[in-house]
Amino acid sequence: MNVGTGSTARNRGSAQGVGVDKGTPLVAVVGPPNAGKSTLFNHLTGLRQRVANYPGVTVERRCGTVNLSAGPVELIDLPGVHGLSARSLDQMVTRDVLLGEFEGDRQPDAIVLVLDATRLESHLMVAEPVLGLGIPTLVVLTMADELGRREGALRCSGLSKELGVEVALVNARDVATLQPVRVFLEALHTGGEEVRACPIVTVAEHAEGRGGGRVLPMIDLFAERRQRARELGRSAGFQAPRLSRTTQRLDALVLHRFWGPLVFAGVVALVFQSIFAWAVPLMDGTEAAIAASGNYLAAALPESWFRSLLLDGVWAGVGSVMVFLPQILILFFFIAILEDSGYMARAAVIADRLMHRVGLQGKSFLPLLSAYACAVPAIMSARTVEDERDRIATIFVAPFMTCSARLPVYALLIAAFIPAQPLLGPFFGTRAAVLTGLYLMGVMAAIVTAALLKRTLLRGRSAPFVMELPPYRLPTARSILTRLLDRTKVFLRRVGKIIMAVTVVLWALTQFPRTPGGETPPIGDSALGQVGQVIEPAIEPLGFDWRIGIGLVTSLAAREVIVGTLGTIYGVESEDEEAFELQAALQQDLDLGAAVGLLVFFVFALQCMSTVAVMRRETGGWRWPTLQFCYMLVLAYAGAWVANAIL
Amino acid sequence: MKRVPETEQQPADRMLADVPLEEEVVLVRIDVAGEDVEPLLERGIVPGCRLCPVRHAPAGGPTVYRVDGGLVALRKETASCLCVRSSLEAAGVLDSN
Repeated sequence: MNVGTGSTARNRGSAQGVGVDKGTPLVAVVGPPNAGKSTLFNHLTGLRQRVANYPGVTVERRCGTVNLSAGPVELIDLPGVHGLSARSLDQMVTRDVLLGEFEGDRQPDAIVLVLDATRLESHLMVAEPVLGLGIPTLVVLTMADELGRREGALRCSGLSKELGVEVALVNARDVATLQPVRVFLEALHTGGEEVRACPIVTVAEHAEGRGGGRVLPMIDLFAERRQRARELGRSAGFQAPRLSRTTQRLDALVLHRFWGPLVFAGVVALVFQSIFAWAVPLMDGTEAAIAASGNYLAAALPESWFRSLLLDGVWAGVGSVMVFLPQILILFFFIAILEDSGYMARAAVIADRLMHRVGLQGKSFLPLLSAYACAVPAIMSARTVEDERDRIATIFVAPFMTCSARLPVYALLIAAFIPAQPLLGPFFGTRAAVLTGLYLMGVMAAIVTAALLKRTLLRGRSAPFVMELPPYRLPTARSILTRLLDRTKVFLRRVGKIIMAVTVVLWALTQFPRTPGGETPPIGDSALGQVGQVIEPAIEPLGFDWRIGIGLVTSLAAREVIVGTLGTIYGVESEDEEAFELQAALQQDLDLGAAVGLLVFFVFALQCMSTVAVMRRETGGWRWPTLQFCYMLVLAYAGAWVANAIL
Repeated sequence: MKRVPETEQQPADRMLADVPLEEEVVLVRIDVAGEDVEPLLERGIVPGCRLCPVRHAPAGGPTVYRVDGGLVALRKETASCLCVRSSLEAAGVLDSN
């Protein structure tokens, strides 16, 4: 087949969405979750891409260029799917991209269909709807090493003959075995015979499917596909591998009725211990580096408005947030290991019973654990929850989990208002107890909210819980590192854009209107002070003054911004900058009731516009984010009022 | 999905939830309503497939089944909707198909 002609005929949309010119062949990498698709994509493109053992972790479409001697090829890594029926968001994206109906994207010129060779028969069921699209396809069977190790067998030539397209057996982690994939991609430029569309005729389409063919009830359609897959397997001499002994032995431990929950509790405790204890030296180091660089700049720059902007605005604001990067990275390091090793799917099975009782399900465990770092990736990873009602409930309660952005606020207020006294020996004192209480308050709010939602707005029978348990695999350093680099990039982009913009605007508002002598105004007379005084009547019942009011408004951009904001306000207000201490300043302005009220406010309030934005995208409208924002605000206001009234 | 009347059921038919560990069975019917059946079908749990319960999760959690060389966990309530037959008894029926 002449690829050039074929691709021209199919170029219906623009290439704008994937950033490639129309002459570059566009290839979609498709396949079921956990087939090694993202690993293959990483090796081919060298781009950062999440790779995991937890089914469906590739929740975003990623693109990358493969530079070949014949010319470049653009790859799109599509979410892992079991079919193209558009039942879930991931399937919808995959189907739309493959049909060329994804807004702003053109239809791919070719497909690399990635299937797990150890699960050939069930994975071949995906092949039929994909090959039925008539797009030139290369079928890549991964896990060649595992197939051999577990005494399975397969003849590629037999399968290739039956399917009518090229079939390559590879090990996605071993670059040397990927040559047939490169040959296929080269052929997109040269028009080689490796590139051809599948001539097989699909057995049928079910009632909701597309295209022609007989219309069959869904179960019959899949039973026919399954039968066809079995015949294909037989003709390829497929011998199913035995179950991995390592997997059997490890499952006997981690799913044991006694040891299983202990391992689970140990893993969760390890993750939390790493965030709250082991991250401290790294955070202290980051803080010291930011302070040292600030001092260096202060000494090097002459007194000017620019120096004030850079040090009082940018350095103070952005620096207070950068401190949390080590903590976020440590959490994502553990999540990457748990996913890539295969344990996360077992954790979901262990958690399912408990989650089911409160109206969620085992697959909600990963998003809720991720939410302790940040609600934004957590909400996106909720796409793995297939049942729509469970997915919405998971998204709705995820922001109640104590994200790392709340920590600076908690740390500041606890240090300022809660005296350090031992409670249970030297390791657990009053401050740790208050911090634990705030975390538990968030968990309780999530449980009550989920139960409430599943009895009212999201009432209905839950879809079956079907969780695939991948074999245990050793996580690779490359995969972990690429994911951590990805998280760092996302975090820095957030700091660079949102938080820096807020701190600069705040700084500017403290500078105007100028006094008649052209001096910086007192903070109360500045534009920022005036804004705060407008807010003050609304928050007075909570024991907050206008300074806290400004902090609450600016922290809508991101919770941790309140620390930088208060730093800017009190810093500007302070006559003697050397003696200035934010904690001491807060102690003068807030009593214990108001301070605890502020803590409670931050437990419940949805002070994060990034979360609102991602929620709007994931739920397809403003209804859920609006409801969530208002619900959490009411809880926060009421909680803070009660705390202020009784203390 | 239409339920098969009791009189038409084979006497040996059981629900998957009642199958003891390590006994291999063949799925003969799925009694799950509407679109809820799709996640099962997509993972190869279709009439004719072989299933073998290998492990119960702790505290009444889901059970792990071996399907096609892979492992899938199902809740008891889902397994109670899957009608199965002993793999030996089903062999004749499948072969005749």
